[in-house]
Amino acid sequence: MKFETLSELRSHIEQLSEKKKPGKEIWVCGGPGCVASGSVAVAEEFRKLIEKRASGSSGSFWKDLTVLIRHEDGHPKIRTGLTGCMGPCENGPIVHVEPEGWYYRKVTPEDTAGILDSLLEGRPYKAKSMYGSDGKPSEDPRAESIPFLSGQKKMVLGNMSSMSPLDLGDYLEHGGYSALLKALETMTPEEVCAEIRESGLRGRGGGGFPTGVKWESCRKSPSDKRYVLVNGDEGDPGAFMDRALMEGDPFSVLEGLTIGAYAIGASEGIIYVRHEYPLAVRRLSNAIAILVESGLLGENILGTGFSFHVEICKGGGAFVCGESTALMTSIEGKPGVPRVKYIRSTEKGLWESPTVLNNVETWANVPLIINMGASAFKETGSPNNSGTKVFALVGKVKNTGLVEVPMGTTLREIIYGIGGGVAKDRPFKAVQTGGPSGGCLPGFMLDTPVDFDSLDKAGSMMGSGGMIVMDDRTCMVDIARYFIDFLMEESCGKCVPCREGLKKMQMLLHDLTGGRGQEGDTERLKELAEGIADTALCALGQSSANPVLSTIRYFYEEYIEHERDHFCRAGVCKGMFHVKINEEKCRVCGQCAKNCPTRTIKLAESGKYRIEQAGCIKCGACIDICPFSSVGTVNEVSEDD
Amino acid sequence: MIEITINGTPIEVEKGTVLLHAAKENGVEIPTLCNHEGLNREGNCRLCSVEITENGRSKIVASCMFPVTRSISVETDNERVKRARRTVLQLLINRNPKSPVIQQLCSEYGVKREERFALEPDLCIRCGRCVRACETNGTKAIELVGRGFDRHVATPYETESDACIGCLSCATVCPTGKITYDESPGKRKIWHKEFDVLKCARCGIYFATKEMLDWAGRPENDRAYCDHCQKYIESVKFLTEHEQNK
Repeated sequence: MKFETLSELRSHIEQLSEKKKPGKEIWVCGGPGCVASGSVAVAEEFRKLIEKRASGSSGSFWKDLTVLIRHEDGHPKIRTGLTGCMGPCENGPIVHVEPEGWYYRKVTPEDTAGILDSLLEGRPYKAKSMYGSDGKPSEDPRAESIPFLSGQKKMVLGNMSSMSPLDLGDYLEHGGYSALLKALETMTPEEVCAEIRESGLRGRGGGGFPTGVKWESCRKSPSDKRYVLVNGDEGDPGAFMDRALMEGDPFSVLEGLTIGAYAIGASEGIIYVRHEYPLAVRRLSNAIAILVESGLLGENILGTGFSFHVEICKGGGAFVCGESTALMTSIEGKPGVPRVKYIRSTEKGLWESPTVLNNVETWANVPLIINMGASAFKETGSPNNSGTKVFALVGKVKNTGLVEVPMGTTLREIIYGIGGGVAKDRPFKAVQTGGPSGGCLPGFMLDTPVDFDSLDKAGSMMGSGGMIVMDDRTCMVDIARYFIDFLMEESCGKCVPCREGLKKMQMLLHDLTGGRGQEGDTERLKELAEGIADTALCALGQSSANPVLSTIRYFYEEYIEHERDHFCRAGVCKGMFHVKINEEKCRVCGQCAKNCPTRTIKLAESGKYRIEQAGCIKCGACIDICPFSSVGTVNEVSEDD
Repeated sequence: MIEITINGTPIEVEKGTVLLHAAKENGVEIPTLCNHEGLNREGNCRLCSVEITENGRSKIVASCMFPVTRSISVETDNERVKRARRTVLQLLINRNPKSPVIQQLCSEYGVKREERFALEPDLCIRCGRCVRACETNGTKAIELVGRGFDRHVATPYETESDACIGCLSCATVCPTGKITYDESPGKRKIWHKEFDVLKCARCGIYFATKEMLDWAGRPENDRAYCDHCQKYIESVKFLTEHEQNK
């Protein structure tokens, strides 16, 4: 339907809230992780089952990804469909049942009948329950008893586990567009800006600049043309927060964007998405088409005289295009290189017009703030860091996935509480936040609250929300090398410090990790990194020194070992360590010998296992497999080893 | 007018003036490489870095790009600035050891090429002056292509380009002498393309390529003389007519 006036939308939303909710809803996660592990087949099986058992159905499954079975009186009885990413990617396919709020993991098509039956009988289906707080499968499928879910506070991702990303009706049912309605009906653009400023919302893309201040300064810049842009060029390795939002809840991003356009006086918006996110592009295009059809985008929206058009611009996948000025030059059709930012984009941005560029997650926060009000929004989070932040928790952690926590939650709570601790219970070594330009924090920093200021102070940064957990089998020098290699590939090459400096850092790091380190290399590296941080042209260039500086700051000893002893204690850098079994710890379980690809681990006269050094290829399989941590790295081995 | 201090000396500057110009006007020299007064500024080389302090917070900025909009204090030659410039020069000399201008700057700042990090010698410092000159002409025959360390100046597909008119603006503005060309009587070769150079019917110098005159819109039947001789001929003609009229 097309909404012509504010009151039409209002009465529609009011009607929805009075309407009876469907009896039961079975949602299957449609995030890429779950799709890869077979969630589409699961959803299809649910559809067949429900259709078979019910009298009739409405809605074409493949068109809107949902199917609705109705009671004879017309009220929905049971409904199933695919949603956006639910978060616990490691355990996919995930099934979420409403209104009970139960979650099941690793569901196969064979489980569907059991889940449906148990649901109709009102009891949990035990076979596919999630893990409880003790790390063992729990019989209680409620979200509250699953640490991965109960530790989170889902605001931005709030609706994603229980609605179809393709259906505006679903979004409206979950309170969608009530924020735009409120803004258009009761607030002036200045009041919207003030509300956002008051909420303390800071840019979720990594910079942490106060969003409301940005909007106000753009609104004040004299111009007859202004732009609002969405930065969906998420390029950090291991990060997928923005992708999940664009795929799973595109309407919330668009609603936020529309409110922003109203607030700053823009009539055009552009969503810049990398072309490696085809599904995000498809979901956003679909949402834009539906909104245009419904009169929520386009000319004279809801009869208010406010017009707003949105386009999607696909990026070529360059990391640097996530930098605001490079993103704008890319939209303008030029090569994506940053320009000097002494004049802010809010004064002179896209096509020299005042422009507000915000990250996907920032835009998705806007409807929440308008709906609940700035003061209620501020209740979540820590002082000066209000609201929540979505993280992609990955790496050597038990429960990987998408998590949303209030700002100020400590790293420990996220990694050990929600994430369940380090995978295989190995010792924790570091957590990397902020993507390639972020930093690595060691174990004693685990109680650092995750907010813009604390992470900055610790020498890392918030970034857009990547969080990579590392165990003792990670070499920090090698990690710095990995990120510098990445940044070197992705540097645009415009300014000398970034282009030539990254090359030199790369040479130094390759020497250190290749056993060619020389005395003073760590100092050389540090000095160079500080020089680059001072002189590079754009924020990406300046922060490219972070992976090196933060690892030197917290893992100096490891650098010195690489430099002086040519020794890699983590057993990662080729040819820079020997592997040895600690006979005191060895309990002769034989796992190492069984898994050794070269069969060089044999029982020694002492009755314990021993590695014949001559045949050892230092693959590290024995270190990883030993359940008693008795296999480790050493710098030197003696004759009899 | 806005009052700022440069190296402790208070001066008045018109709002919007870039720091480099403000400093120059007040007799403070700042080294530059990518800056050229006839071209758009980009701030690529970072050699003109200076330190600005505002509200107790200081940072390094490129003086060729930074417009004065507020009262700030500027240091153009303190230790931090020198260190920044040495970082830039160190990186440049490792890749561009043969350029006289870089050699000279390096000796001024006490920077030596590091054999361990020496890269294959190249004269180009990717400052893009040539590209900006070509763009300013309107010809846009060359562009910085490739990314990161592989960035370099090239014509499209690295082959001869219809857009190039052989005007040598690129070579003229190049600070390091990277852009070279072959010139022989009546012939010129630059950017993979050969040009015929026209000879002035009066003084005999080779003055322009045919493509340059096409670009300038000079009529086909009016291409016999170089600019200099053309002016001379015009003035003689004018004077003769003037005499006759008298």
